[in-house]
Amino acid sequence: MKCLSLEQVYLYIEKEVSPSESNKIKEHLATCRKCKNALEERRTLLQASESLSLWQTPPDFTQQVMARIFPIRVPISAWLTAAYAGLGSISLAIFILFLITGQNFSNFLTSLNHSLLNFIKNISPFFVKLFKIASLFVKALQQFFEYLIKAFAAFTTIISPQVQIIIITIAIILIAFSIYGIKRKILLGEKA
Amino acid sequence: MDEDKKLVERTLKGEKEAFEMIIQKYQQPLLNYIGRTVGERQLALDFTQEVFIRTYSSLQSYKPEYKFSTWLFKIASNFIVDYWRKKKIDAFSLDQQKRDNDLPPLQVPDKELPIIKKLEFAELKERIEQALEKIPAPLREVFVWRHINEFSYEEMAEIKGLPVGTIKNRVFQARELIRKRLEEIV
Repeated sequence: MKCLSLEQVYLYIEKEVSPSESNKIKEHLATCRKCKNALEERRTLLQASESLSLWQTPPDFTQQVMARIFPIRVPISAWLTAAYAGLGSISLAIFILFLITGQNFSNFLTSLNHSLLNFIKNISPFFVKLFKIASLFVKALQQFFEYLIKAFAAFTTIISPQVQIIIITIAIILIAFSIYGIKRKILLGEKA
Repeated sequence: MDEDKKLVERTLKGEKEAFEMIIQKYQQPLLNYIGRTVGERQLALDFTQEVFIRTYSSLQSYKPEYKFSTWLFKIASNFIVDYWRKKKIDAFSLDQQKRDNDLPPLQVPDKELPIIKKLEFAELKERIEQALEKIPAPLREVFVWRHINEFSYEEMAEIKGLPVGTIKNRVFQARELIRKRLEEIV
């Protein structure tokens, strides 16, 4: 048998060759020092590779993954506990208020109600005016668009389509130039 | 039905504890595969978590005729390949290796220095870890599967969707390249 290929060497170490081939390799190794050395070298390499130290996961790794898969949902009982706690705190606050001011709770609520009512009284005329102005503005805008549509309809019946195209094109160019001009003016102003 | 398939079935029925057992069983093998392919511990832990989350969300598509561990590692491998793509680790592809003329010899060389025998076993293991980082990522992957995760060639071929012969060849190249890198380190 001629000298082994390196792949054969590995397959022989891993017992991945047929029994007959294994016997032939064994016979060859008994007589060939070069192949025997190569085999010993690679056998040690594989043994060392198989005993490399293992990376360890932290002790709470499973819990971390589970918490990401199943996020904790607050049960209804927890919400109820929070509501009871809130109610309890408010009652306690009222009791302390009573102890400090000597006022009972109904007086406190009446005075709170009065100040709230005064505030609404003061602020409501302003909102009414604001609403009227807004509705007038909307009406004016509506009227303007109505006239605009009528004017456009009259324009399309009087003038021929070719002329219409020319006028629209000129209008677009004029608008574009005006926008460009305004922009430039602003930029120059900024530079100055 | 094997234990893993029963755990999958129980998870699909809503038993959280069953998936917890899957995590406990596979966290270390996955971390060792991912850790050795990405190199950083914290990143490897994050990726391992991500693989379990992906596995859970696609558990409905698992077909019991396949081995669960193979399916799980296929998810992990796809995840790692995506990471390599994003990190542009194409520079370490096998084509690069061919261009660099880094291919191992096919026959036992006439004059070969006994580099491995010279080293103490503990030192050799340390050097192998260093050499592992210096070989192309696709070769590192199969080396880890073969020697750390102890997969058969057939299992690796199924994970990668490649012929067994291709996988055997990659493992062979990985080992010889590690030996070559050891020579450089020593």
